Amino acid sequence: MKLQLKRLYFQIILFFSANLGALGLKTGFCYPFFYCQACPAATSACPLRALENSVYKQSLEWRFLVYPLAIIGFFGITTGRAICGWACPIGLLQRGTGKVARKVRSHPIAQRLGAHRAEKYLRYTKYVMLIVFVFLTSFLIGFIFTDICPVGMLVGTFPIMILNPGKFVPNYFFPIALVIFILFLVLIFTIERGWCRYFCPVGALLAPFNKVSLLEVSVESKQCIHCNICSNVCPMGIDVPNMHRDLECIMCGKCVNSCPQSGIKFKRS
Amino acid sequence: MKKTIAIKIVALLAVSFVLVGLFVSTSAYEETKARIVEVLCLSCIKLEPKTSQEFTFDTEDNASHPYYVTENLTKGPVFLHYSEDVCAGCEVMFPIVKQLFNIEFGKQDMFSDTVTFGNTNITYIYINLDHTTDALEESFPLYDKDDVGGLPMFTIVTLGYDHGIVRPYYTTLYGTLNVPTDEQRASVLQEILTESLELYSQNGAGYHSH
Repeated sequence: MKLQLKRLYFQIILFFSANLGALGLKTGFCYPFFYCQACPAATSACPLRALENSVYKQSLEWRFLVYPLAIIGFFGITTGRAICGWACPIGLLQRGTGKVARKVRSHPIAQRLGAHRAEKYLRYTKYVMLIVFVFLTSFLIGFIFTDICPVGMLVGTFPIMILNPGKFVPNYFFPIALVIFILFLVLIFTIERGWCRYFCPVGALLAPFNKVSLLEVSVESKQCIHCNICSNVCPMGIDVPNMHRDLECIMCGKCVNSCPQSGIKFKRS
Repeated sequence: MKKTIAIKIVALLAVSFVLVGLFVSTSAYEETKARIVEVLCLSCIKLEPKTSQEFTFDTEDNASHPYYVTENLTKGPVFLHYSEDVCAGCEVMFPIVKQLFNIEFGKQDMFSDTVTFGNTNITYIYINLDHTTDALEESFPLYDKDDVGGLPMFTIVTLGYDHGIVRPYYTTLYGTLNVPTDEQRASVLQEILTESLELYSQNGAGYHSH
């Protein structure tokens, strides 16, 4: 079976596993990826929600701090950011929107913007989001990322409004969250894996583990003929021939498949 | 190379050890389930429950809820019925409330009971300010959310979700409820009780009385 088909099956299975709450299975685990417990079918908790709880308004509930970090750490050390590429339901969603985003990418303006030197710095936004909105504002003023999270809007707000018509009214964060949600949609339809690249706080938690994970995508530079096909197919926009345990690599394996020299491989180390 | 792999395996074992330790010796799993997964996260959905009365978390001067409220909240919502001897409105509402909960007691009694409403338990506490204890009387200004200071007063304490923490959430109704007939008064109380039960069912799993 082709690797990308395997990955698709795996993503679909994980999507259903994340939604076993529809069958009544609610657990006390945290997802190691980005998904919202407010989804009526959710099985587990968003790790960000637990982290926000741990420091909310100058409190320190160490269990809620260590517990999600340990879960992320376990999967991070084992597979690195492969979780983003193989398990995350929002990754699956972006896989669906990727075709449109790739068409947009071929436009000259998009290419120019993509090649802009500021682009690589934009990728640090997700770390800023994690530190500022999950920890800092939660600790200092009680404003949490969850209040404006577009994924909560997608899998929580809209399904709940549909399932419970007339039972809820928008709160004061709703208009801001709606604008952010619309921007989220624009982002994932215009930039392939735009959410993962620039904004995902869970991706920011997982990214450093790429440096130490047991699984990695390894490039054999001696075999490289500089055709650049790998970089063109990479949904995260990585300069694949020159990467070594890149923080952005979601180990989707597209470069592995596309290399005409078979010089890119998954490697256990 | 071997050293690097060894370090990674040690790190993986350490994280696994921490995880197992958290599962075995702490309530992290249960608390995550009860406080995050099973509770409808209003922050996540950016919505508020639509209620006919305004519920609030804030008591007068942010005072703590009395123990007889916080403890009984583990069983279901708490209905506090304030009254006094000389009070025309209290006379009107007294039989309506008794009929609503199918209970019998005298107007000057101290009375509390677990009553059933819509297949759910509600703790009903009758507080006649002329014949009560200090502890019960002290709750009257606490729940007088509109600073009316008048009787009869009805406080329904249920549970609400406040940025990840499930806390007592209450509303207070006053007088003869601004409607002209007994049927309408009963209907207003039924409606607010139904809403409070719904809020309780959304949040009950995440509540700890301490």
